[in-house]
Amino acid sequence: MPDEPNFGDEGNKGAENAGKMSRRNFLKDAGLAAGAPAVLGGAMAISAPPDAEAAQPYNARAVPVASEAVCASGMATVTLTVNGDKYTQAVEPHWTLRQLLRDRLGFTSPKDWCGGMGACGSCTVIMNGRPVLSCMTLACECGGAVVETAEGIAKAGHPLIQAYIDHNAFQCGYCTPGFVVSAKALLDRNADPTEEDVRDALGGNLCRCATYQQHPPAVLQAAKALPEFQKRSGGEPKPSKGARA
Amino acid sequence: MKTWKKFAHVDAKTAEEAAAILKSGRAALIAGGTDLLGTLRFEILPTHPETVVNLKADPFLDYIKEYGGALRIGALTRLEDIARSALVKERYAALGEAAHRTATPHIREMGTIGGNICQLPRCWYFRTPDNRFNCVRKGGGQCFAMSGDNRYHSIFGAVKSCLAVNPGDLAPALVALDAKIHTNRRTIEAERFWDVAFPGSTVLADDEIVMEVQVPAPPEGAKSAFLKFAVRKSIDFPVVNCAALVDKAGGTARICLNAVHGKPYRAARAEAAAADALKGNSTAEEAAEAAGAAAVAEARALPGDRNKWKIQIARTLAKRAVLACLR
Ligand SMILES: Cc1cc2nc3c(=O)[nH]c(=O)nc-3n(C[C@H](O)[C@H](O)[C@H](O)COP(=O)(O)OP(=O)(O)OC[C@H]3O[C@@H](n4cnc5c(N)ncnc54)[C@H](O)[C@@H]3O)c2cc1C
Ligand code: FES
Ligand code: FES
Repeated sequence: MPDEPNFGDEGNKGAENAGKMSRRNFLKDAGLAAGAPAVLGGAMAISAPPDAEAAQPYNARAVPVASEAVCASGMATVTLTVNGDKYTQAVEPHWTLRQLLRDRLGFTSPKDWCGGMGACGSCTVIMNGRPVLSCMTLACECGGAVVETAEGIAKAGHPLIQAYIDHNAFQCGYCTPGFVVSAKALLDRNADPTEEDVRDALGGNLCRCATYQQHPPAVLQAAKALPEFQKRSGGEPKPSKGARA
Repeated sequence: MKTWKKFAHVDAKTAEEAAAILKSGRAALIAGGTDLLGTLRFEILPTHPETVVNLKADPFLDYIKEYGGALRIGALTRLEDIARSALVKERYAALGEAAHRTATPHIREMGTIGGNICQLPRCWYFRTPDNRFNCVRKGGGQCFAMSGDNRYHSIFGAVKSCLAVNPGDLAPALVALDAKIHTNRRTIEAERFWDVAFPGSTVLADDEIVMEVQVPAPPEGAKSAFLKFAVRKSIDFPVVNCAALVDKAGGTARICLNAVHGKPYRAARAEAAAADALKGNSTAEEAAEAAGAAAVAEARALPGDRNKWKIQIARTLAKRAVLACLR
């Protein structure tokens, strides 16, 4: 299998030195395939400060003023918890959380569908108890965050997974992780939702295969199975530490 | 796939720290990022910030409180928290409903009230990636919506020859409720907050930061409502939205439409019509009908009538908003 650049997700120009590693190699090397925590970071060169020529007055409401450089660019190091495990990683200021999760940490469930416009929900993750779009979250702002992805929900054996299978709540499956994560965020907040609550909570998730009708019954079935699941797993499933702020 | 242009990133611990960096004019403030990151990734503006200043590091701007006769919401408060607040829902219904009807659950969990009222327009020419339409708002020579597809554009004329509308859902609720926007420098009436010719969507100076939104408690017995018409209910920007605050006993009404003009449109004629009807012996239906008709008395479709449908929607929403307050 030929090597594929592993930063293709966002077409990031700044990750030159990560170039040669395929995602599969990356997974193997990092031991992530086996679910083992990995501490990464410091492996990348510091990027150059922004091109002074390109830096023009920005703000739409801005009146250009003479300015000295306000701060240096470069890598920031963030430590965050993903599905219960801690990771430390160097990131560039413009990297998104999705890019960090997919291209650096190997969690490929957050998808890219709408190209990062915030319009499809396929990149949804739970961060600090809130369902958020990882395509519109800067990775460098995620220090200390507690993140949960569909991988963690599946690994915990959350009843949503079986419910989605029982109800055939997918066709191609591309949108499914985003739906499952949004549904999990709802159940964390409201263990006994109405069908209307479910429709509301999934309102930001798009499905090109039009599986919409299957989702509410699947989520309601999962809600019924929650008490049993919580008893079995000794309280809350492990990854959902993200208490609402 | 779009590549990102680089920028530096700074966590500002306080608003003063953020303001000091913004003063350069080469920086952009980020709150939830749901509007800003879209404009940066797709390079919709002719310029790019050198630095993105993160206000979220300030822990003191996220709150919903009521004291001194007013509701006070910190600029970093998420829309979803506003939508779920029992206090907001009970006493400031129009604001709670506006927050609830904004965008998607995910964007409401990320997007802040400060960012929502400062968002840039959604005109599809303005938003085309790579600044392909360098329109009048960006310093170019023309408004492409004048001759192009303007089905979502202004029904109350242009602002300095730009036909884009203010797309916000919170804006009309804040105007109807007579809110004030408190910044690091001054306090601005909501009605004046967007009262501006571009560049920019708000009257804020470069280094001015929204700190708090203050909403006076409505008079005892007054009711407020917010209604929105969008193509898809679950995610879309408003085609038209409308907020109203009606004090039946006092015989007064405040009515504001949005997505119909470059700034939120306070429907003064509709307010007068509703007040007259309330003081006379009209039924709720008659008062609402009169308000709806008066709300669009000055509306005009653009040549070609592509956006004419919005006039009927605006009229109906104004009517229903008043009716909802009288029930
Ligand atoms: C798919 C999609 C659908 C949407 N639908 C709707 C909708 O239906 N209705 C609606 O109203 N909006 C809608 N939005 C817009 C969204 O609601 C707003 O983007 C959100 O509220 C902005 O908040 P934010 O904190 O993310 O702002 P940011 O993106 O962080 O900031 C937006 C702008 O405001 C400035 N800013 C932020 N905070 C402050 C402050 N405290 N002081 C001064 N300036 C500040 C920033 O510099 C930036 O220019 C939608 C967005 C998307 C992506
Ligand atoms: S990829 Fe994030 S919302 Fe579409
Ligand atoms: S199952 Fe194919 S996009 Fe939803």
